[in-house]
Amino acid sequence: MKLLVLPPHFRTAATLLGPPVAVLAGGFALVLAISSDPILAYQDLLFANFYSAGSFALFINRMTPLLFLGLSVILSFRAGMFNVGGEGQLYLGAMAATIAGLASAGAPRPLGLLLAAGAGAATGAVYALAPALLKVRLGVNEVVSTLMLNFIALLLTQYLVTHPLRDPVAYGAVSWMLPASVWLPEIPGLLGATSAALIALAVAPLAWMLLFRTLWGADLRAAGSNPRFAEAVGIDASRRVLEAMALSGGIAGLAGALYVLGVGHRFEQNFSPGFGLIGLTVALLARLHPFGAVATAAFYALVLNGAAYMQIDTDVPRSLVGLLTGFLVLFMTARGRGAPAPS
Amino acid sequence: MLTAQLLNSTLVQTTPLLLCALAALITSRANILNVAVEGMALAAAFAAIAVGQATDSSALGLLAALFAATAMAFLFGAVAIGLGADFIVAGLGLNILADGGALFLLEEVYQDPGGLRPDQFPDLWRVPANALSNLPLLGGALEGQSAIALAAFAAVPLCAVFLYRTPVGYALRAVGEDEAAAAAAGIRAARIKMLAVLISGVLSGLAGAQLAMDRLHFFLPDMTSGRGFIGLSAALFGGAEPWPTAGAAFLFGLAGALGDRLQSFQAPSEFVLMAPYVAALLALTIARWRAARRAKPAPIRNRQT
Repeated sequence: MKLLVLPPHFRTAATLLGPPVAVLAGGFALVLAISSDPILAYQDLLFANFYSAGSFALFINRMTPLLFLGLSVILSFRAGMFNVGGEGQLYLGAMAATIAGLASAGAPRPLGLLLAAGAGAATGAVYALAPALLKVRLGVNEVVSTLMLNFIALLLTQYLVTHPLRDPVAYGAVSWMLPASVWLPEIPGLLGATSAALIALAVAPLAWMLLFRTLWGADLRAAGSNPRFAEAVGIDASRRVLEAMALSGGIAGLAGALYVLGVGHRFEQNFSPGFGLIGLTVALLARLHPFGAVATAAFYALVLNGAAYMQIDTDVPRSLVGLLTGFLVLFMTARGRGAPAPS
Repeated sequence: MLTAQLLNSTLVQTTPLLLCALAALITSRANILNVAVEGMALAAAFAAIAVGQATDSSALGLLAALFAATAMAFLFGAVAIGLGADFIVAGLGLNILADGGALFLLEEVYQDPGGLRPDQFPDLWRVPANALSNLPLLGGALEGQSAIALAAFAAVPLCAVFLYRTPVGYALRAVGEDEAAAAAAGIRAARIKMLAVLISGVLSGLAGAQLAMDRLHFFLPDMTSGRGFIGLSAALFGGAEPWPTAGAAFLFGLAGALGDRLQSFQAPSEFVLMAPYVAALLALTIARWRAARRAKPAPIRNRQT
C-alpha cells in the first residue's frame, strides 16, 4: 500500500536532494559522536562563508574552479567520455598561463591577460584531446589514460615550479609573481573575490545552450548515449567526441589559468585540493546538468570552506568532508536493489 | 653483482604493482573495470601500520590490512553489484572514501594529518641474506624479499590455475564474456562478480601491506600514488592474462628501478617518478595499436573485372 504518492516533480526533487541531505545527516550523526560542540561544528560547516565579506570572497574564489571543472566533466560525460583527467588539465592550464603571463610582462594590459588565459585553455584542450584521440582511434580506455596523464601533469608542473620558475625568496614551491598587468581584476565592490566567477557563471548557460539548444549538442548527446545509433543516422560521432573533449579540457585549463591570474597571481604546486575529483562530484550531483552544476559547485565551495572554520572552532577535523564525499560518490549512481542494469 | 642488485630492486618495485595488476585482472575477467584497487590498497596500508603499531606484530598488521581491503571490496561490491551503481563512479567514490577516511582517522585519532610514523615497527619475514648464495643471479635478486613478495610471485600461477583449471574460474570467465548467457547456463552472475571483487580486495590488501610494511614502516596519505591505476594498466596491457600481465608489471617495476638508478646521475626526481606512468600509458597505447592492426581487414586490391 502506498500511503504517499508524490507528484513527479517532487520525486525529481527528492532524487536530486536526497543524496546530499542523507550524507549531511549521516555526517551530523558522526559529528555528534565525536565532537563536544556538534552544533557549532555544523553551523560553521554550512554558514561560516557568510560570517564576513572576506569569507564570502573566499567562497566565491573556491566556487569558481569547482564550477569550471564541473562543467568540464559535464561536457565530456555527455559525449560518453569518462574524462577524469580534469586535475591534470587544470594544472597544465595554470602552468601555461603562468609561463605566458611571465613572458608577457611588458605587454599592454588586456593583451597579456588574454594571452595567458588563452594559453591555459589551449594547453588544457590539447591535454584532453590526446586521450580522446587514443580512445577514438585505438580504443584506449580513457579512464586509465586520463588518470595516468594526471600524475604526469602534476610531476611536470612540480619540476617546472621547483626548478626553472622557482621564486627563490618565497617560501615553498611557488613560481615568480606574475606582473600586475596580467592580473584578472576583482569583482567591483567585493574585495578579494575574483571576477573569474562571473566568467564561470557565464559559461554555465553557454554550456547549456550548446548541449540542449543546438544541433551540435544533440549530436553530441546522441554520440554519448548511443554511438552506434549516432553513426547509423549519419552523425560523425568520433568527431563530436573529440570536440567535446577539447572543450572539456579547454574549460579545465581555463579554470587553472584564471585561478593563477585572478587568485594566486603565481603558480603554487598545491593550489588544488583535488579540484578535479570534486569537480566530478559536482557534475554527478548535478546529474550532468550545467545549471545544476552552479548549485552543486556552490554547495561544495560552501562545505569545503566551512570545514576549515569548523576545524579552527571545534574539534572536528576538516577531512570530514573528504570522508562524506567518498560516501556520496560511492552511492551516487546506486539505483536500488533489483533495478535493471542499463545496457 | 650489479645486475642482481638491479633485479632485486626491480622485484621490490614490482611486488605492489603485480598485486594490484592481478587484483585488476581478476575483476576484469568478470567484465568489471576496477579503478578501486587504489583505494583498497590505501586502506590496507593504513590498517597495516595502525594495527602493527598497536599490537607490535607484523602478522596482525598484515591480517588487518587484508581485512580492511576486503571490507572495502565488499562495500564496493555491495554498492556496484547489489545496488547496481556504475562501477567506475563507485570505484572512484571508494578511492575518495579511502583517502578521506584515512585522513579523518589520522587527524581524529593520531592528531597528525601528515602521516603515521611509529618509532618502532615489527618487520615482515624476509628471505635471509646469503640463504640462496649458491643460486647465481636469482639468489641475489630474491634475498631480502618480504614474505608478501614471495606470495605475489606465487599468486601469478595461482591466478592462472584458478581462471583456467577450476569450475569457479570457468564461471567467472563466462560471466565476464556474456553475463546473460552465463546466467542462462545456471551461473549466479551476481555472486561470481562479488567473488571476483572480493579476491581483488585480498590482492589489493597484500599490495597495500607490502607498500607500508616492507621497508618504509610508515603510512602517508598519498602512499599508493597511482599504483592501483598502474596495476590496472598492466592488466589491460597484458590482455587480462596472468603471465603477460605479470610481465607488464615487471616492466613497470623495471622502469621504476631504472629511474631510481638514474637519480644517482642527478636526473630531476620528477622525471624519474614519471617513468612508470609514462611506461603504462605507452604500453596501453601499443597494446591497443597492435590489437587494432590485427583487427583491421586486409586491404582490398584493385580487382580487374
